[in-house]
Amino acid sequence: MKTEQNSSKGQVNSGNGTGQKEKKKSFMTMQRRNSLEAFMFLSPWIIGTCLFFVNALISSVRLSFSDIVQLKGFVMEWVGTKNYEYIFMYDINFMPTFVSVVTNTLINTPLVLVFSLIIAMLINRPIPGKGFFRTCFFIPVLLGSGYVMAQLLEIDATGSVGVGIALPQVLQEMLGNTMVTAVQPFLDRITLILWKSGVQIILFLAGLQGISSSLYEAAKCDGATQWEMFWKITLPMISPIILLNFVYTLVMYFTSSDNDLVGYILGQVFQNTQFARGAAMGWVYFLFVFVLCGVVFGVVRLGSKANE
Amino acid sequence: MNVLTKQKEHMRAAVVKGNVSQMAAAKSKKFVVRFFYYLVLCSLSFVFLYPFITMIVTSLMSDADLINITVKWLPSGFRWSNYKIAMEQLSYQRYLKNSMIIATAATIGHVISCSFIGYGFARYKFKLKGLCFALVILSMLVPVQTIIFPLYIQYSKWRWMDTYLPLIVPTFFGYGLNGAFFIFLFRQFFMGLPKEMEEAARIDGCGAFRTFFKIMLPMSKSSILVATVLSFVWHWNDYFEPNIYIRTAGKRVLPSRLPGLYALMDTEDAMDLVMEEDGFTFNKAMLMAGTFLVILPVLIVYAFLQRKFMEGVERSGLTGM
Repeated sequence: MKTEQNSSKGQVNSGNGTGQKEKKKSFMTMQRRNSLEAFMFLSPWIIGTCLFFVNALISSVRLSFSDIVQLKGFVMEWVGTKNYEYIFMYDINFMPTFVSVVTNTLINTPLVLVFSLIIAMLINRPIPGKGFFRTCFFIPVLLGSGYVMAQLLEIDATGSVGVGIALPQVLQEMLGNTMVTAVQPFLDRITLILWKSGVQIILFLAGLQGISSSLYEAAKCDGATQWEMFWKITLPMISPIILLNFVYTLVMYFTSSDNDLVGYILGQVFQNTQFARGAAMGWVYFLFVFVLCGVVFGVVRLGSKANE
Repeated sequence: MNVLTKQKEHMRAAVVKGNVSQMAAAKSKKFVVRFFYYLVLCSLSFVFLYPFITMIVTSLMSDADLINITVKWLPSGFRWSNYKIAMEQLSYQRYLKNSMIIATAATIGHVISCSFIGYGFARYKFKLKGLCFALVILSMLVPVQTIIFPLYIQYSKWRWMDTYLPLIVPTFFGYGLNGAFFIFLFRQFFMGLPKEMEEAARIDGCGAFRTFFKIMLPMSKSSILVATVLSFVWHWNDYFEPNIYIRTAGKRVLPSRLPGLYALMDTEDAMDLVMEEDGFTFNKAMLMAGTFLVILPVLIVYAFLQRKFMEGVERSGLTGM
């Protein structure tokens, strides 16, 4: 590293174009030094990407177009799109599971976002008992996306294991059976959605806290109503969080362990030893998620351009 | 914040208006608004707390309490022996140790590496930066399930199978469970911090690394806390990857013991079809005790960090884009 004085000169000079002499003098120009430092900060990530990501990604793609000829040493043979054809033409389980998982996710994701935003706005106020409520809404995160939550929330027809879900049980006591059977599917879904939105609430809360209150004050002075303020200030300001939450929710739903399709793919790989087919299924699945996120990113970008 | 308060009150008022006459005095209107506000909050938090409380209450019930339908919220006595049985069934101490090692090491890895990388993304401009960041986002999108098999082969080539290395080492390189999420979190946070502090340090002759470790890192306590809590909780609850990489039963993590416990109860349930109440209910208390024991360490960690965590969330500066 050169001394600070030197490089700060470089910075000044490179701006007005007379710094050629200075630049020649030291090999380390400001720009070069900058990229070197950037490289050093990113080096763990670069190593990680090579070792744990790109590598696996490429061999997974290759595997999905191949067949394993010899299990020992994993000798692969290129077979083209055979695995993909199998998935769409012959596999009778994949498509129905895929469609049901996707529909479920597409219905649930917007609902999760709406509910978590509403809850975040409710607990964003300085009220007595704020800490208690915030902790309440964080409990689902603590209990995890894993087995514990799946068991606690299990909607079980036989009522064998799950503790049961709050709303239906309580309502059953109050309203009686006929009424409950009518609204139960709806309430079940709402409860499950609320339970899946712990992290999203936290992120929205962080976002809402970041909006400067002077914006609201200014709007108020100009005579904006609360309703307008929500649409014109709150929503645009937290739109990056909405995007982050959307991606997070989508990925959470698509990869959670209680997802049928994930179970099916893993069954193909680790029980039926259909490695290549499993990889192809994984890719069909991932491409769908990817396209979906791409569409959302595109829409958001278009929307922000239109706003400008 | 006061503005937001009023905003909510106003919105609620608009709802209430239909019922309460518009003539109502401002004071009573305010009271009604507040009442409804708390009603909504309480009923929402009830949905969240219900399974949790039921779990704790059930775990302390005796056989008689479990059969008795009238006993719902308050058992006649606390039966702590349920916990003793559950602990034995889970081989608690041994698996607790395993889980602790993985979750702690991985959390440390995530905090160190992701703050480092996130700083690089936040403060430096360089060629291909857009591409690099797109890759980070991509690694957030790719489900583990898509690349788990090549990774599995890779780790078995490296002889990492049946060790904790596949779970811990990637976290030190910004990968692992939700690694990209933490990079993103730290990037957002550092982008929101003013540059003046660093510039002052650099002018005084402080190198890039020293600036980061001595100045930026101490300033980012709130984000570190958020990352610590989330990373610890996620690693603790994750049992998908551990189950794939760890084959020896004795090395597995605590949550992976739960399916076994639940299966134990199911089989007994099936056997006692006739007198299902007894066979089933006795186990249920024990089962809930076991479930509670599994998440207990997470609850303890959170209880200690709760206040700071919420402060950290408030200051994480996610909107400072």
